[in-house]
Amino acid sequence: MKIYDILIIGAGSVGVPLSYYLAKKGKKVAVIEKNSSVGRGQNRAAIGGMRATHSDPAKIKIGLETLKIMREMKGKFGFDVDWVEGGYFFPIYTKKDEEKFKKVLKIQKSYKLNIDWISKEKIKQITPGINDTNLRGGIYSPNDGSASPLKTADAFFMLAKKNNVDFYFNEEVVKSEISENEIKKIFTNKNEYKSDIVIDCSGGDAKEVGKIFNLDLPIFPESHEAGITEPVERFFEPMIVDMRPEQDSANYYFYQNKEGQIVFCITPNPNIPGKDCDNTSIFLPQVIKRMINLYPRLRNIRVRRTWRGLYPMTPDGFPIIGYTKEMKNLFLAVGMCGQGFMLGPGLGKILSEVIADKTQKHDDILNELSLYRKFDSEEMFK
Amino acid sequence: MNRIQNHPILDSNEDRQIVKFTFDGKGLVGYENEMVSSALIANGVKEFSIHQKNDMPQGIFCANGQCSKCTLIIDGISQKSCITPLKNGMKIETLQRIPQLPIDDSPLKKSEKIELKCDVLVVGGGPSGLNSAIELAKLNYSVILIDDKNELGGKLVLQTHKFFGSIKDCYAGTRGIDIAKKLEDKIRKYDNVKIFSNSSVVGIFKDQKVGVFQNNKNYLTISFDGIIISAGAREKSLVFPGNNLSGVYGAGAFQTLVNRDLIHSSDKIFIVGSGNVGLIAGYHALQAGIKVAGICDILSDVSGYKVHADKIKRMGIPIYLNHTVLSANGNKKLERVTITKVDEKFRPILETAKTFEVDTLLIAVGLNPVDEFYNMAKKFNFKVVKAGDAKEIAEASSAMFGGKIAGLEMAKILGNDIEINEEYFEKANVLKSHPGEIYPIESPKLTNEFQPNFFCNQEIPCNPCVSVCPHNSIQLDKKIGNILDVPKFSGKCSACTMCVTICPGLAITLAKKVDDNSAEVILPFEFIMKYSEGEKIPLTDINGNILENGEIIKIKYLKKKKIYLITVKTTLENGNKIAGIRVQDDEVTKPLEKPKYEYYPDDAIVCQCEMVTVKEIIEYIKKHEVRDVNQLKNIRVGMGACGGKTCHSLLPRIFKMVGVDWKDVEKGTDRPLNMEVPMGAIVNEE
Repeated sequence: MKIYDILIIGAGSVGVPLSYYLAKKGKKVAVIEKNSSVGRGQNRAAIGGMRATHSDPAKIKIGLETLKIMREMKGKFGFDVDWVEGGYFFPIYTKKDEEKFKKVLKIQKSYKLNIDWISKEKIKQITPGINDTNLRGGIYSPNDGSASPLKTADAFFMLAKKNNVDFYFNEEVVKSEISENEIKKIFTNKNEYKSDIVIDCSGGDAKEVGKIFNLDLPIFPESHEAGITEPVERFFEPMIVDMRPEQDSANYYFYQNKEGQIVFCITPNPNIPGKDCDNTSIFLPQVIKRMINLYPRLRNIRVRRTWRGLYPMTPDGFPIIGYTKEMKNLFLAVGMCGQGFMLGPGLGKILSEVIADKTQKHDDILNELSLYRKFDSEEMFK
Repeated sequence: MNRIQNHPILDSNEDRQIVKFTFDGKGLVGYENEMVSSALIANGVKEFSIHQKNDMPQGIFCANGQCSKCTLIIDGISQKSCITPLKNGMKIETLQRIPQLPIDDSPLKKSEKIELKCDVLVVGGGPSGLNSAIELAKLNYSVILIDDKNELGGKLVLQTHKFFGSIKDCYAGTRGIDIAKKLEDKIRKYDNVKIFSNSSVVGIFKDQKVGVFQNNKNYLTISFDGIIISAGAREKSLVFPGNNLSGVYGAGAFQTLVNRDLIHSSDKIFIVGSGNVGLIAGYHALQAGIKVAGICDILSDVSGYKVHADKIKRMGIPIYLNHTVLSANGNKKLERVTITKVDEKFRPILETAKTFEVDTLLIAVGLNPVDEFYNMAKKFNFKVVKAGDAKEIAEASSAMFGGKIAGLEMAKILGNDIEINEEYFEKANVLKSHPGEIYPIESPKLTNEFQPNFFCNQEIPCNPCVSVCPHNSIQLDKKIGNILDVPKFSGKCSACTMCVTICPGLAITLAKKVDDNSAEVILPFEFIMKYSEGEKIPLTDINGNILENGEIIKIKYLKKKKIYLITVKTTLENGNKIAGIRVQDDEVTKPLEKPKYEYYPDDAIVCQCEMVTVKEIIEYIKKHEVRDVNQLKNIRVGMGACGGKTCHSLLPRIFKMVGVDWKDVEKGTDRPLNMEVPMGAIVNEE
């Protein structure tokens, strides 16, 4: 039997930073991971965008915390995780969209987001060569950015190890012993664990892991494909998110990472439910047609690789965060809806304060993202 | 110009259109539609790009579209020069680190999906793929054959030597280049076979389709009922300091440059690896007028056929067994190779170092199957069969037979009620046999009549000499009872020389006693003729030891067979021992008097695309407790253009160096695309 203060299920975008922040606060932490290294669930599939640009206060707060951490990754922590503060840019083409997004802008600004409407001229500066037909302007948030998911996961892994977090790879949680509304023990295929608190950071597997604790979590993974090109000299700064829906796809987005490679992804319409992560022939022609239309210069860049990952969706597109009523020592940090990578670092820091310090200063976040909410709002920046 | 003007087997392509192009502003000429890389090497340009990590000039490496070392800026766009055909007026520039995307902001002209369908898709038009497609065509299936080269035949088109096997089953005794033509003629007769040349399968997808990158500018998706993977093999890489120097590359790339494109790519080469590929590359070099300083192999035996090894030893190429490449050195390009003996644990013994001044080092340390598409198709539960090297590395003779079987197996899988002849399986098995036992050479007593003398004393799957003898006087010595057995002569010989000229190993002579002191020997010769009748030439025994200088009494050229028969007068004593002619001077193969090298083993490159060294990987594995190949992506191992095709097979050894067992390591995942494709091509804008 292995005994810890805190047991985290899942060494991914959320679990690894959280383990580090908890250990830094003096907790004895273990992380159980079914894969053989960190970030091999959906972190590996994240394309690398990190933003605080959301439409709700909880995620904006978490996002701002993430950005602060990422900016300090190199200077303070000594890890170069390919952070580029290139901003996010949402081009706007219709009057209706302009009105809609400008309305959200007010809310976003009220939460201290550095975000604003920019003109066509400014757009041509930050994305030279972009097709400006019918372009009205756009929303631009210069402090958002991107980083390597792989390197970020590894950086937090190294930090966690330095703070004596124990990682158990190639172990899968298979069973739990529950009594009096409490998880007493956790069994993996290899070991038996006991801890004061169990944190579920199981990402794409949250539905299955929930069942081990007799919970039916409203999490429904869907799959998205992504791709990466050869590196070319940097020619544009921000993550470009084209929100215009088309017949067979909703939004798509791409940016140029620190290596100079373009990383891109599309939201299929209808969405593809399930956990299949094998590539399809549909993705490349679908996304590339739209990308060249928007940014013709891309026609000459070569696509290097594609992959497919999961968005563990909730009914309203917002994560599920907090203790459960059913199991008093079970804390959920699941249903990231494809934003685990960008929420992870900030969430890790915030949740370490909630869990280790028992602070109430983040109650607003916990209330908004509670498992027991109505799930009837809608996320604009999915 | 570094072009091969005279080749004993290959016709020079003088009738091709000459075009003008510029390289870094300098005006040059080349042939239209030859690969840009070949045109440049012909003009003496051997450095293509400057790597962004270490500023090292990058030379040709795979010549096969797989890596990205030959990338250049061609008309403003970065492109792999080994798969880009040369056009008149091309503006070609060195790629400095990472390319700038050309500023072409004109709107998307058009976007089109090209979708095709077939019963069976065959990936790879080499010996196995062609034969499988032919079998399926005979059974009336609609077949699409995808091949990434301009000419069908796979690696056959690079082979000037004659093939082993049996005449009936696999064109034994015919040159590879000629077998390729025969197979192509055969397949072109079927209307139900559609052939896409210059096309690469770049991905196999869950929705039972493949993506194909065609002619460097289009992208097709093809759906199929069954798929045959006959994509051949890729060359294994080798880790030693200096392995990233321009001038260090695969034997396959060398054969492409020399035998396909007739480029005099090198003045003098050294070869590491004594398998058939390495041995034959040495032979091809000599045929092309390129000097060969030697071949080394870390093992204590030659791994290829003995007849191949003996042949090249006779020609004057030393084979250093129990030797490894210690380091390759030079100022930004290969200038010297140093080899050493190894101890029983394969560690180099520095005191035994020998340095050779060469401009090219060929890596021929074996092949790995290109079977990633097979594995993926299997995972997706598609109807899939693999054939040829993609199934198992073996000779082309075996691949041809295996291809037939694969085609028939696919038909069965698709529900065709055919029986596959049991004999086929037996033959395929025999043809892929590794070389077997070696018997002592029995030198026959010479008589006044010519008789064949065999220098073929190792069991290999080969018997064309038996088939061609008009008197049935050549039989296999029935020890095993199949074509692995070695040949024996008894009976009549009319000195027709059929056996001499067909023998792929050049391991048969005709010899006769002239008088009590002298003999005559007829020897095959496949080089540009530099001798004349009356001249004395050095003659060797089977192993290349010079026995005597013999006088040429007759030179006969068999034009159709592209082979000379040289009759020499020798002493009677040596007449039955003389096996060949020394064609390369001893001076060529001499090492420097004193070894001259720098040896920094940690600097050896593992990931050639991203220039990751042994040292970097070892340190990372230790520090980050790596047990998953994916973790190495943090230091960019496998993140380059080739997607780990070159370095992945090197990793087990690297992990072992750190004390980590490879079986405890999670392997990387293969994902499309298998080759980079421009976005514009994917939507078929042109």
